Amino acid sequence: MAEKKKTYVEDIERTLYDIKNEDHSVYKSHSGLTPEIVRDISRRKNDPEWMTEFRLKSLEVYNSLALPTWGPSLEDLNMDDIVTYVQPDAKMTGKWEEVPEEIKDTFDRLGIPEAEKTSLGGVGAQYDSEVVYHSIQEDMVKQGVIYTDMETALREHGDMVKEYFMTLVPPKDHKFAALHGAVWSGGSFVYVPEGVHVEMPLQSYFRLNAAGAGQFEHTLIIVEKNASLHFIEGCSAPKYNVTNLHAGCVELFVKEGARLRYSTIENWSRNMMNLNTKRALVEKDGLIEWVSGSFGSHISCLYPCSVLHGENARCEFTGVTFASKGQNLDTGASVIHAAPHTSANINTRTISKAGGKATYRSAVKVTKNAPYAKCSVNCESLMLDNLSRSDTLPVMDIEGDEADIGHEAKIGRISDEAIFYLTSRGIDEEEARAMIVRGFVEPIAKELPLEYALEMNNLVNIELEGTMG
Amino acid sequence: MISEEIFSAIPMRTWRWLNVNEVKVPENLSAEVRTEKILVESGENKRIVLDRREGGALEVQAHIADGGELTLIYAQLVDEKEAATSRIKVYVGKGAKFSYTTVEAGAKATAAELTVDMAGPDSVADVWGLYFGDGERKIDLNYIIRQGGKRTDANMQVRGALLGGAAKTFRGTLDFLEGSKGSVGREDEEVMVLSDHVQNRSVPIMLSHEDDVDGHHAVSIGKMDEDKLFYLMSRGLDLAEAQKLVVEANFQPVLDRIDDDGLKAEIDAYLQRRLSHG
Repeated sequence: MAEKKKTYVEDIERTLYDIKNEDHSVYKSHSGLTPEIVRDISRRKNDPEWMTEFRLKSLEVYNSLALPTWGPSLEDLNMDDIVTYVQPDAKMTGKWEEVPEEIKDTFDRLGIPEAEKTSLGGVGAQYDSEVVYHSIQEDMVKQGVIYTDMETALREHGDMVKEYFMTLVPPKDHKFAALHGAVWSGGSFVYVPEGVHVEMPLQSYFRLNAAGAGQFEHTLIIVEKNASLHFIEGCSAPKYNVTNLHAGCVELFVKEGARLRYSTIENWSRNMMNLNTKRALVEKDGLIEWVSGSFGSHISCLYPCSVLHGENARCEFTGVTFASKGQNLDTGASVIHAAPHTSANINTRTISKAGGKATYRSAVKVTKNAPYAKCSVNCESLMLDNLSRSDTLPVMDIEGDEADIGHEAKIGRISDEAIFYLTSRGIDEEEARAMIVRGFVEPIAKELPLEYALEMNNLVNIELEGTMG
Repeated sequence: MISEEIFSAIPMRTWRWLNVNEVKVPENLSAEVRTEKILVESGENKRIVLDRREGGALEVQAHIADGGELTLIYAQLVDEKEAATSRIKVYVGKGAKFSYTTVEAGAKATAAELTVDMAGPDSVADVWGLYFGDGERKIDLNYIIRQGGKRTDANMQVRGALLGGAAKTFRGTLDFLEGSKGSVGREDEEVMVLSDHVQNRSVPIMLSHEDDVDGHHAVSIGKMDEDKLFYLMSRGLDLAEAQKLVVEANFQPVLDRIDDDGLKAEIDAYLQRRLSHG
């Protein structure tokens, strides 16, 4: 029997992201990692003394920790080749017209200022190691909302930063958290005062332009009691032949009755190692909603973690991962139920094609202090050919007898029955297949901001050729 | 700000700390390994009962030739002061069938590994397991089904109940290897947790290197259905009796597969006795 033709699902169109600018950085640290390099970064950033100490201690922790013994191989990563700090030829500004032309063009192409005009309450843009632009609507400032780059926050709100910085993701947590603690630069700081509802989302966009560099931005968000916020994060980089590293850190503090939605579209280039750590601490009656799209990078290890710390705290996690040729995307989520009546709902979709490897990895932990915890996990994987891999590795660790935990996973291809049903309703076969793939990612797409949902539609841009399977 | 206990559960550490990739060998296990070999010839139909009452290490290697069928029943009712490990490896040839029923109820510490290699096309593996932990028992189970042949059909159904201060890890892996076109696999674990001192770890793994497969796994962990208990208690049963009945009903699909009436009655009585003391 002749081999069946397979429907071809296109890769994401990357031309837009792959435009490189010439490297006009004014300063680059030496590659590698030594106390001298860390001190030099700290001096250039005018860190307070406690931060310099923190960086040096983190470096010690980094040197004492081994690489993880699980997950994708990180052998291509040689820290001696990575430049940890690249200062762009631009000063932080609140005026778009003051951003240097070339950098401005990059963000223009990515649609950042346009989105700011139409649908955002504030925007931050980071280029290599430093934030070059930050703005926030005037009425939000009047309500006491703070949205600024981490360096400014460290200067102007030092006590608050010191109280929270890397308390949720301590450097000893793992090797790349320690690395982040030593060389972090840039990122966003958001503070939403009690009872304030930020109506329009805030968005930070991270762009890594320099080859062989690392980006280590730190995002710290504090949403006070009964307040709410939607924060969007986008990441991209042009493709180079050398390994780039992203080891960012996101710490989210959701206080009593507060609500935070954290949406990410990660579209790093295929030479990027994305070893990012994201964690939220949710207090009583609080809600964290994660919406996470992982499309880019060569290797990703990303498992946003929700610590449900107060009674009735909730977590909703919605994620999609698309792994294509040369990609090993190890993504998932973790939830720690640490208080009574906490609940979590994890819903993910993964697609793998053309030799891509997609792994769903999760951990659900219910501590003894969390009676009546509820957690429901649902992950579905779609494989578009047999060159690819799709693995599901969940761990559930439950103490006590009052928890209610359910996990369900499916793996497979587009079912012939579904095609038959749709074609019997008069839809042609190609459209039927396209509908099914769109339907597969739809639960995730509908949670994304519009411009990102459109971006994701590129994913299911199915060429009308042959059949799938 | 948050306690160290919570940090120790964070995934980067969790995965190391859980040692999810390795079964721990119980302490004080005798170095001697008892080995059994089972050969099922082509077209042959064999039924073997391993009624295990002695601790130590046991290794079983089974080879089911094309078209053969092996029904293996493994009942581990080892004395509760001893440790018991088992490593069962099964090769399933073309069109062959492996039907397995296991009861892990005895021993102070249990480590059991089952590896089923479904190398032959159209092979079938039907694995049903039951575990029961009470007191301070430690149960560590690792069941792996590798689906290599085309159109293989694997089913893994595991039922468990934990009470007292029992600690259990169950890993169930369905591995669809490249070339396993048209294969299906299902894996289910249902755990009843009857005490708040229990530690339950469930790791349902599914690996796939083939697109034309249909894999499904599900885990449900929880206490007993209160409606069921309420119903039974409204019929005059006390709580302990009602709980016992619900656990028995949950175990029944596994126990029903044991066609040796004597052994089945003995397991039944053994579980009843243990449940009554729980």
